[in-house]
Amino acid sequence: MSTAAPPRKVAPPRERTGGRLSNGAFALLLTAPGLALFAAIIIYPLISALFTGFFKQDLRLPGREFVGLENFTYWLDGDFLTILKQTLIFTVGATIVPFVIGFALALALNTGLKGSGFMRGLFLFPWVIPGVVVSFLWMWIFNANYGVLNGVLMKAGLIEDSVSWLGQPGTAMLAVIITKTWASFPWMMVMLLAGLQTVPKELHEAASMDGAGSIRRFFNVTWPQVRGVASIVLLLEFIWNFQHFDTIYVLTGGGPAGSTETFATAVYQTAFKGFDIGRATALGGLWMLLLLVLVVVYLRITERKGDAR
Amino acid sequence: MTTTTPMTSSQLTGTDQLSGAARTPSATTGQTSRRRIRKDVLRSRIAAWTAVVVIGCFGLLPVYWLLATALSTPESTFQFPPKLIPTDLTLSNFTALAENDQLIKYLVNSMIVATITAVLSVVVATYMGYSFSKFRYRGRRSLMHMVLASQMFPQALLLVTLYAVFSSFGLLNTYTALVLSFTTFTMPLCVWMLKGIFDTIPDALLEAASIDGASRWRTLHSIVAPLAAPGMIAAGLFAFVRGWNDFIFAVTLADKEKQTLPPGLVSTYIGEFQTAWPELMAASLVVSVPVVVAFMFLQRYLVGGMTAGSVK
Repeated sequence: MSTAAPPRKVAPPRERTGGRLSNGAFALLLTAPGLALFAAIIIYPLISALFTGFFKQDLRLPGREFVGLENFTYWLDGDFLTILKQTLIFTVGATIVPFVIGFALALALNTGLKGSGFMRGLFLFPWVIPGVVVSFLWMWIFNANYGVLNGVLMKAGLIEDSVSWLGQPGTAMLAVIITKTWASFPWMMVMLLAGLQTVPKELHEAASMDGAGSIRRFFNVTWPQVRGVASIVLLLEFIWNFQHFDTIYVLTGGGPAGSTETFATAVYQTAFKGFDIGRATALGGLWMLLLLVLVVVYLRITERKGDAR
Repeated sequence: MTTTTPMTSSQLTGTDQLSGAARTPSATTGQTSRRRIRKDVLRSRIAAWTAVVVIGCFGLLPVYWLLATALSTPESTFQFPPKLIPTDLTLSNFTALAENDQLIKYLVNSMIVATITAVLSVVVATYMGYSFSKFRYRGRRSLMHMVLASQMFPQALLLVTLYAVFSSFGLLNTYTALVLSFTTFTMPLCVWMLKGIFDTIPDALLEAASIDGASRWRTLHSIVAPLAAPGMIAAGLFAFVRGWNDFIFAVTLADKEKQTLPPGLVSTYIGEFQTAWPELMAASLVVSVPVVVAFMFLQRYLVGGMTAGSVK
């Protein structure tokens, strides 16, 4: 699998010509293959998406017709707010819940329990396995007829009849959030644990000697040290969840009755089930504007951290 | 979670009251504070174990269920309530996979596409990351931001127009389409990882090479690249895993002939009326194996790789 061999150590005869370029030109030349690829597969498609929103176009057919803002008003007068609301419910839920779980676990593992290194590795499993596998597994757990969740809850006497977790609007979103939480809390845990490990133990001991209780130590010693990591982790996870697709698509496909429809599933379904690429990209454009705000905030924060020297 | 939080906080308040008592002048002898610390340690141990056990149930029971189902016979799977400890263990679900030619084809496709994606991403990202790390020029910052931001644009939207582009070039249902579409998310990741790795290589080394008369290409290829090789392999493994795991691009841009394993599993097993759960769980385990193995090698790079392009 280690096919990622370093570039061949060739010393071509035209080696000398490299010396004639200024450093800046040489540096730009190095970025050229990457930039070409970027332009072709990311920038051009995204820009063309922004334009397509103003046209009526079928995904399967060539040709299109300019329709102005019609595609945008279709959404804004229709489902936009519902989709936005559901996207936000999913995004906030699938960000906060794994954060709390991941943080609790990071704090626990950071107390130096026996075998915490091993446990860290074990807990990573849900994060490491492919997203589709995560979806299959939880689809099976939530299965209405034979699922283990219903089985356990019935045995425990908590429910009387099988619940169709993914099949009814009232529980589908919750089920999707739980699934996504399971897949992402390990990442939160690792990141926060890395942050926690930079807090010197002596600080805790000193604070403890001075009579600070656990709560006070948490807020005065631990939190200031991990605040940076925590905010980045929360923001990144928020951005990712805001455009998350896989779990929702495999588990519910946006249903039942549109109750788990988010921007990602709506854009996808409109383009590939409805074949209406104009409407799909119009919604995508609105979605991208919202994301852009988040991305700018994110870039500002990393900038301030001086990461992009 | 709900059970840990109240417990911990009540313990914490207890400790706080205790520390209030300890702060009275007569009690601040070394002995009491040492005893208090020991008590503190015990309390935090209990809290820590409670958290680990509760979260452990949430985190690991599904994994157990994945294994248990994969090892069960179909008959026992469609029993309700399910047997929590399977009694009729079998490997037949795994042997059935090996005999399924279509699945083998998906597997081969996955291998090919993920490998080419990884190699392409690493090669391109090596030059770009090197440029970002070792040179200072106008526009560099904007380029870096563009690479970083590109990871955050909505994939579902990108996919819609990529589909149209590939369609007009006749590239749908080809390995090329899959590799290129995977590169949209693996290349930014690799650029940032490799920039971080080049940052750790001292500039003095490059200067020394230049004084010795090595050209800039030669410096990069014969001196820097070998030093960065472990990092390049790590970046390649990350790209491989991301390509291996992808679902949305693969399911849309390729048909049965060229599709990779993740969407292949959906089309093979998720039936409209009945799903072959034990076989699907066995197949899921098989898909996960290369990824888990890759991550065992990547332990050292884990945090760095996960945060590539975000935080250092």
